[in-house]
Amino acid sequence: MKTISDIKKGFKSIPAKIKSIPAKLSAKLAGAKEILTQGNGKVTASLIVMGLGQLIYKQWVKGFMFLFIQAAFIVYFVLTGATDLFGFFTLGMREGNAWYGIEGDNSVVCLIMGILAILIILLYAVIYISNVKDVYRTQCAYDTLKQPESFKKEVGALLDKSFHKTALALPVIGVCVFSILPIVFMILIAFTNYGGDIVPPALVDWVGFANFGKILSLGQFAPTFFKIFGWNMLWAVLATAINYFAGLGLALLLNKKCVKGKAIWRAFPILAYAIPGFITLLGFKFMFSYGGPINYYIQQGGGEAVGFLGLDAKWTARFIGLGVNAWISVPSTMLLATGILSNINTDLYEAARVDGAGAWKQFIKITLPYVLFATTPVLISQFIGNFNNFGIFYFLRGGLYADGYFLASDTDLLINWLYNMSIDNNYYSIGAAISLVIFVITSIISLTVYVLSPSYKQEETFR
Amino acid sequence: MANLSLKHIYKVYPNGAKAVNDFNMQIEDKEFIVFVGPSGCGKSTTLRMIAGLEPITAGELKIGDVVVNGMEPKDRDIAMVFQNYALYPHMTIFENIAFGLRMRKIPDIKRDKDGNPVLDKDGKEIPVMRKYNKQELTEKVNEAAEILGITEYLKRKPKEMSGGQRQRVALGRAIVRQPKVMLLDEPLSNLDAKLRTQMRSEIVKLHKKLQTTFIYVTHDQVEAMTMGTRIVVMKDGFVKQIDTPKNLYKYPANKFVAGFIGTPQMNFFEGTLKKVGDKVEIDFKYSDAKITVPYSRLSKTTPQYLDGTKTVYIGFRAEDVTLDEDKVAKSAAKIKVRISHSEELGTETLVYGDINMDGDGFAETSTRVIIKSAGFKEYQPDAVMEAALDIDAIHLFDEDTEESIMPRIPEYNYLDCEIKGGNISFVGVKPGLPEAVKCADGKGELLLPVSAVRFDGDIKAKVTDNENVNGQILVTLDVNGNRLYALSDKVLPVGDINIGVDYKKVTIKTDGGIVTPMPEVNGLDGTFVTDKGEKTYNLLINGVKIKAPAEVYGKMFAATTGRKVYNSKFRYEWGPYDIEVSDAGIEAEAVRTLDYGDEKFVECKVGEETLYVKCDKALSGRIYLAPDAGKVGVIESERQIKIV
Amino acid sequence: MNSAKVKVAKAKSKRVLDVLITYCILIVVAFIFFFPCLWLILASFSKSGSIYSFDGFFPAEYGFDAFKSLFTDTVMYNYPRWFLNTLFIAVMSCILGTLLTILTAYCMSRFRFKSRKAMMKATLLLGMFPSFMGTIAVYLIMTQFNLINQQWGLILIYSAQAPMGYMVQKGFFDTIPYSIDEAARIDGASNFTVFVKFILPLSKPMLVYTALTSFTWPWSDFILPKMLLIDKDLYTVAVGLMSLGETEFARFAAGSIFIAIPIIVLYFCLVKYMINGMAAGAVKE
Repeated sequence: MKTISDIKKGFKSIPAKIKSIPAKLSAKLAGAKEILTQGNGKVTASLIVMGLGQLIYKQWVKGFMFLFIQAAFIVYFVLTGATDLFGFFTLGMREGNAWYGIEGDNSVVCLIMGILAILIILLYAVIYISNVKDVYRTQCAYDTLKQPESFKKEVGALLDKSFHKTALALPVIGVCVFSILPIVFMILIAFTNYGGDIVPPALVDWVGFANFGKILSLGQFAPTFFKIFGWNMLWAVLATAINYFAGLGLALLLNKKCVKGKAIWRAFPILAYAIPGFITLLGFKFMFSYGGPINYYIQQGGGEAVGFLGLDAKWTARFIGLGVNAWISVPSTMLLATGILSNINTDLYEAARVDGAGAWKQFIKITLPYVLFATTPVLISQFIGNFNNFGIFYFLRGGLYADGYFLASDTDLLINWLYNMSIDNNYYSIGAAISLVIFVITSIISLTVYVLSPSYKQEETFR
Repeated sequence: MANLSLKHIYKVYPNGAKAVNDFNMQIEDKEFIVFVGPSGCGKSTTLRMIAGLEPITAGELKIGDVVVNGMEPKDRDIAMVFQNYALYPHMTIFENIAFGLRMRKIPDIKRDKDGNPVLDKDGKEIPVMRKYNKQELTEKVNEAAEILGITEYLKRKPKEMSGGQRQRVALGRAIVRQPKVMLLDEPLSNLDAKLRTQMRSEIVKLHKKLQTTFIYVTHDQVEAMTMGTRIVVMKDGFVKQIDTPKNLYKYPANKFVAGFIGTPQMNFFEGTLKKVGDKVEIDFKYSDAKITVPYSRLSKTTPQYLDGTKTVYIGFRAEDVTLDEDKVAKSAAKIKVRISHSEELGTETLVYGDINMDGDGFAETSTRVIIKSAGFKEYQPDAVMEAALDIDAIHLFDEDTEESIMPRIPEYNYLDCEIKGGNISFVGVKPGLPEAVKCADGKGELLLPVSAVRFDGDIKAKVTDNENVNGQILVTLDVNGNRLYALSDKVLPVGDINIGVDYKKVTIKTDGGIVTPMPEVNGLDGTFVTDKGEKTYNLLINGVKIKAPAEVYGKMFAATTGRKVYNSKFRYEWGPYDIEVSDAGIEAEAVRTLDYGDEKFVECKVGEETLYVKCDKALSGRIYLAPDAGKVGVIESERQIKIV
Repeated sequence: MNSAKVKVAKAKSKRVLDVLITYCILIVVAFIFFFPCLWLILASFSKSGSIYSFDGFFPAEYGFDAFKSLFTDTVMYNYPRWFLNTLFIAVMSCILGTLLTILTAYCMSRFRFKSRKAMMKATLLLGMFPSFMGTIAVYLIMTQFNLINQQWGLILIYSAQAPMGYMVQKGFFDTIPYSIDEAARIDGASNFTVFVKFILPLSKPMLVYTALTSFTWPWSDFILPKMLLIDKDLYTVAVGLMSLGETEFARFAAGSIFIAIPIIVLYFCLVKYMINGMAAGAVKE
């Protein structure tokens, strides 16, 4: 995956980047200065009223479009934008009270509409700047006797040279609204006291870093946090290792020359892979439940029904979780490893055989390094996926709160705790703070693992 | 079906790396041009700039009479064949070839359903653009397929075809549109050796048949030599030499071309040259080898190389060294070679040896020698044999610049001279010196550029030979038994002629002093401005505006983006004849007047710059210069790119 | 001579043992993966619905009651309705999500625009946030836009978030030689034409892979539908099946089989594409 290597490169080039920031900034400033000092009256016109310069240049459609955008923005800003922006900072001034019939401000809505307003203002700023740049470009063309791009041509370019603008418009808007905006919202929530008793109609306030203090210092949150964090790390490491090696082993096994009917053998794991996760999880929950088949046989054998996933079944539940997770995830690793194994140059093996290397040596010296090299990025994403594996314990043991834990059970991962707190119990701001902590942990881990990995150390070996 | 003109073409990447440097070439219609060079030399970049796949940083590219900088590839009427064929894998061969036609529209007249022309009110036909119809499409595709012999495969998909067939399809896709220029980017390098040879001759045949300009990029010098009518050798973004295959082989302009063209590679030795009488002794370094060559063979060589101290590269091709006993016995240039091993190629044997008796003959050193010998002759390893060098085929290169030191057109005639009482005597003539080059009496050397010999003076000479070097005629003259070279634009009849000397260009080095030639280019820094309101565009130098003609500012606008032209510094250059002394213009301080007899020039200062300008009379003090804006040369200072 | 024969015999017996062990492991693996599925299938044919009436893994009596009630007894649990809801949401999200993902990947692979690097880094960074971290915000946004309790709301979210995972597709596009684009451009095609006529047909395996992944996500997701769909008639199968208890086990099993079968069939038909797609995304650069 290219992005990970991008990170790595980015990591390496941080000092150089910081050095280049002033240069880049001054280049931007120089560009702005050039427009401001050398732009003619039409540029000034567009600086004041969007599209005016274009209209003077007789670029009617473009000019009116910019004009319309500015008008629309002003209308938006006057009607709701300004209030929304104001609300972002105050998070609402008037507390609602149904008793007196006062319709107060909803702090959370204030926050979210505030973020939206900021996004819209940013978007407007981008359009405004492109409006100025556009008219300046036209001026440049006239000043150097070049034909300015006709509007028809510019529109035509949207399907050719600037096709990316057309194609990326929808995805970018979608990601902004449904991925970036929520994440920004959640990050901001971590710095408020939203949650507990303070939910609308009560007014929410900015509280700075207080929530992080609450998680890390003593109190009801800290012990639970550290207990869950320890288990979460252990879980992520174990689950990733089990899935990875079991999947690789299975792929190697199916790759053996002596295995006949590979497609049929491969079908069983794929069957497991294809079944939607929640069905598997619910199925296993039934299997291990008090009335489930396992307990049936125990009782038949004269034993007493065991609460495999019950309240006090700490380690059995954890092991069942690992097993079930393996059942779900091993097939995908197997498929991936199969794909990668088919890419290994078979000459390598033949050379090794001629050199007298046995099967085990071949595995250690050729297969493993190659697969590790090729799959490090996947390994990292699997690790993160396991670290944030919400489904397993949500389905197997959802809704349990163990002793010594605050709103969590002893198998819950941070992400389950986060869910319990914010969605089931309204501890929104603490939940948001936890997600930020999870984010910091996962990003540090993935970067470190990547830097230590063979893909990073011997980038050129397998080229 | 078109000629191409590349003028000062540059490719500069945003990080400042120059992939192509000042590429200049005039390609005639129907030529087969090959760009050759090692990978990363800029040959593919140049081709892609011609195709329009890569923007041109600066310079002017014309196809036919149209400047195509910034034009889309599809509008340039070119076709390109790629190294990996770039066939469309999901389309049949027919569709692959037809796709380019489907995308194009052809001019026609408006017709009704039955194909009869629809006339407008005045009874004239109405021109419209339409797509090719099915019948035309099939016809054209079949025609192209027939030329390339792939008619039977038209229904197949590319992956069902062999490498050679795919290459044919790629060619078919290119020729079906009958483009003005065919561009081929290493089209044969993915084929095996046998197919490559076969396709090579087929492409040459295709070129003959189509009568279209071909530009062909390859890193394989054999391909270049066998296919091109002219070859462009490139290295590190610079053009090293442009010439016909024969001339490249016979007269490599530098060590790179000499080593790159021809297999096995040319033998390079290091050594020194020493002129003794009318002979030159060549002393090979790291070896006892020494040969003597008549001076006439090296008469174009600069004398500074002939004093026995400066190291030069000596090059001999393998076929110009021989072990044949008869030839060795007759030869005057013999060297001892210790044989190391030989490679038998059938028709010939390559013998590896070393002129250093301790050398091993394997590593490429400056004593290793490869000798071409007749086929299946056996040579004893470690035997020491005598080899003869063909001194007529010697190549000499400077140690540092690696340029040939015996170029086809030498820069100067190096002559001994003596100055006495205002007269100079050289080669037995004693003309008077003009005022400007007067210097104290003494003996010394006269550097007479070949271009400074005029055919209108009063010195008697004899034309002995004419040599056409890429359109320029190098005339060999005999003046009182001394050889002189001169340049002419036409072949001169052998026989008597009167010549003269252009003293502006000569250098005289005597113990009495040094006279340097007058610089041919005057450079001034300046900017570019426009007058508000009026549509005039000016070069601005020292506060003086010089109105630029359309051709000049057009090129300046084309080479810059945005309003950069108004914000950049330029260096403007003029020859001494292109600036007039007038009563208004750039202020200058006359330093002295140079009188060359029939012409006078004023040496003047503009700020720090020294300029030489033609004038009618002696001048001093403040003068004003009026340059001819139409003859300006413009260099963009920041990127060091020649724009005009 | 003799020792050589012994060696050959030894190697042969070793090979036989190797084959034997391999098949033993394979059988165990197959059993592990197949048995729970078999159990579910058997359970769906149980006459009585409750898990308590089973003899261990096996139902006491077999019959089609569970399937019958699944499709007829729709008062409490309207399974056919849920199934159609899921199908609608998954198909629509699949179409839109695939389109957006492919477009994004194509642009990132083929265009070198100014903000490209920044966008790639941003998506990577966003990917590190816990996936439903923003769920509350999404919920609030949907409330503001009046899209709560509407299937289109879900489709909007699924398709808008799909382009975030464009990396695999970009990796695939990167392997299609640029010279094909260039040849097409010289032939007179615009970038749009290149995309439609060349890139899309050439990336069929990737299209299938993308479509499959963007179909299965909404098909088996439960967090978003559980939060955004209030009306029981709008439930997806995942949410609906979660509300079934131990006494409705047979019905759960039958419902599961119905929801799993389409995906299983798809996977088996397209397993070749899956392997290629996953490998293409995994091998770096």
